Amino acid sequence: MSEGALPKEDAVLRVDDLQKSFGGLAATDHATFAVERGTITGLIGPNGAGKSTLFNLISGFYEPDGGTVEVNGTDVTGMEPYQVAEHGLIRTFQTPRKLEGMTVREAMLVGPRKQPGESFLTLFTSPGTVAESESANLAEAERILEDFEIDHLATQPATDISGGQMKLVELARAMLAEPEVLLLDEPVAGVNPTLAKKLKDQIRRLNEQGTTFLLIEHDMEFVMDLADPIVVLDQGHVLTEGTPEGVRNDDRVIDAYLGGGT
Amino acid sequence: MSLLDDPKAAFADLSRPEGWVLGVSVAFVLFLFVAMLTGALGPTYFLFLVGLAGMYALLSFGLNAQWGFTGLINFSVAAFFGIGAYGTALMTASGSPIAGGFSPLVGLAVALVVALALALLIGIPTLRLRADYLAIASLGLAEVVRLIVLNERWLTNGSAGLRGIPGFFDGWPVLSTFPEAMPGLRLEVIPGSPVILETAFWQASLNVLLVLAFAGAAYFVLRRAHRSPWGRVLRTIRSDEDLARALGKNTYSFKMQSFVLGSLIMALAGVFYAHLNLYVGPGDLDPITTFYAWVAVILGGSGSNRGALFGGIVIVTIREGTRFLNDVALPIDPAPLRLLLIGVVIVAVMRYRPQGVLPPQRELIWPSAVGGGGTPETPDSGVRERKGGGDDE
Ligand SMILES: Nc1ncnc2c1ncn2[C@@H]1O[C@H](COP(=O)(O)OP(=O)(O)O)[C@@H](O)[C@H]1O
Ligand SMILES: [Mg+2]
Repeated sequence: MSEGALPKEDAVLRVDDLQKSFGGLAATDHATFAVERGTITGLIGPNGAGKSTLFNLISGFYEPDGGTVEVNGTDVTGMEPYQVAEHGLIRTFQTPRKLEGMTVREAMLVGPRKQPGESFLTLFTSPGTVAESESANLAEAERILEDFEIDHLATQPATDISGGQMKLVELARAMLAEPEVLLLDEPVAGVNPTLAKKLKDQIRRLNEQGTTFLLIEHDMEFVMDLADPIVVLDQGHVLTEGTPEGVRNDDRVIDAYLGGGT
Repeated sequence: MSLLDDPKAAFADLSRPEGWVLGVSVAFVLFLFVAMLTGALGPTYFLFLVGLAGMYALLSFGLNAQWGFTGLINFSVAAFFGIGAYGTALMTASGSPIAGGFSPLVGLAVALVVALALALLIGIPTLRLRADYLAIASLGLAEVVRLIVLNERWLTNGSAGLRGIPGFFDGWPVLSTFPEAMPGLRLEVIPGSPVILETAFWQASLNVLLVLAFAGAAYFVLRRAHRSPWGRVLRTIRSDEDLARALGKNTYSFKMQSFVLGSLIMALAGVFYAHLNLYVGPGDLDPITTFYAWVAVILGGSGSNRGALFGGIVIVTIREGTRFLNDVALPIDPAPLRLLLIGVVIVAVMRYRPQGVLPPQRELIWPSAVGGGGTPETPDSGVRERKGGGDDE
């Protein structure tokens, strides 16, 4: 009965009948689900189930063939990624993105949205405003790095840190954009267990402070421990949605994973 | 920290390549000065060289704002240079087939407006697409502009070019009569080889003043923009455009701003050139100018404004320096030798210093935000504590 159709009073993200095919392959096949405000919602499914594609559709990187995406009650289907971000949805990427020639804190400063200093004219008409906001953003970036216990990396080149640290920095930077809903694509893939635990704690802490999460994760233990509810995707459509307990014991989910060739 | 406040600290703060460049530059200036005193280098010609160096610096500043900041591949530097030169020439030259006779200020404005229009014309269809589309389109654009200038005689005089371009300061109060008003000077530092400063010298110093104003303004604007949040978005686009988009940046708009800014600076170089040379022809749009600008930026260090300045000066030194080799009997012609030299320099830089001679600073944050109160554990020097990779921008 529950084709991703748990009742959602206050959904921050709604995906309705989303479709996308590449050539003959339906990577997203009439996917429908919603993310309730305040939750950490998990998105799981075997390799190639279409999880990353779904993220790309939601965040505006791919144009859907059909269906709609709603963020905060606004239809954002077909908008540019920056416009989707303006509505409060920020996403990270499965492979960490490195910023050449920047230090960690400098790379963090790309995060805040609508900085006065991003307007070319303001640099010359009102340099005081730019300096003020830059100081505030820098202080905030260093505070978040401290929260994440990676403040010692602040002035390291962003390309010199480990993959796991990069994932932490990406999460920290995304937080500077003050998202209402944050989409994380495999945040602990390739991260050592100590850092993974740290990431989990951070996600939980940020969630308690009010950020909604939708996260793709392959590490079952990680996602079962952190997320509730969990949406299961198989061959582009939503197989089921439920509590970690319910999903774990669902035969269809077990079949999908066994048949899906993980 | 400025040189005047604390000269010792300012020098101690230089990284090795910076010190090296400074040393070589000082030696080079001394050499030119001695050459001038002994009469080997005419003072007027020397000022002409300074003007050319400023012009190449402007071209490399412009390209640096596109390629160095944002990663935009523009192969039509020569076209924007030519638009600047022809834009002002067509407005001001007595030989102009369309307008002519206007003040050089009008010429400057028209040149910038036409360059802006051209930048939008090529930017609008290509900047939404993958990076290589701009590269290909700009390559075509350069050729189209050159062919139009060559063939549309009713507009540009075709291969005859435009004569009778006034000096930039003609018609200005004081400055227009300044060269004639100045007395001729005769300096005899070394007995037997006097240095004579005449009207032509004062005319040339006005040109230097003009190029210093253009290049100084461009440098000021780029320097501030580079270390601002605006510049940071451009650098993010250069490394990873998708990341910038995911973080809510309208990358199309930023790329357009960077492209337009760079193109306007290139046009400025063209405006200066027209009023320096007092003649422009279709040959001024030859692709070699694009080539020189790219060499200057890569040599100096992509993304670095100072590197672009340095690269521009090196280009002029090679370009003009090889002329003197005419006096020496060489088995090779100076023109191919020039290209050979540039090739050797590029190979050497790529081999031993792929980031360029003066690469950008390691960290670019709005200066007062880093130096100021907020972050006591990272004082002013925090920005450049690691000298290995970093210099000023
Ligand atoms: N840009 C693309 N072009 C063609 N096929 C794609 C593209 N992106 C994804 N796919 C295909 O869509 C399917 C789903 O991929 P993806 O969304 O990456 O799966 P997941 O993230 O769940 O592992 C795969 O078969 C993949 O090969
Ligand atoms: Mg994936």
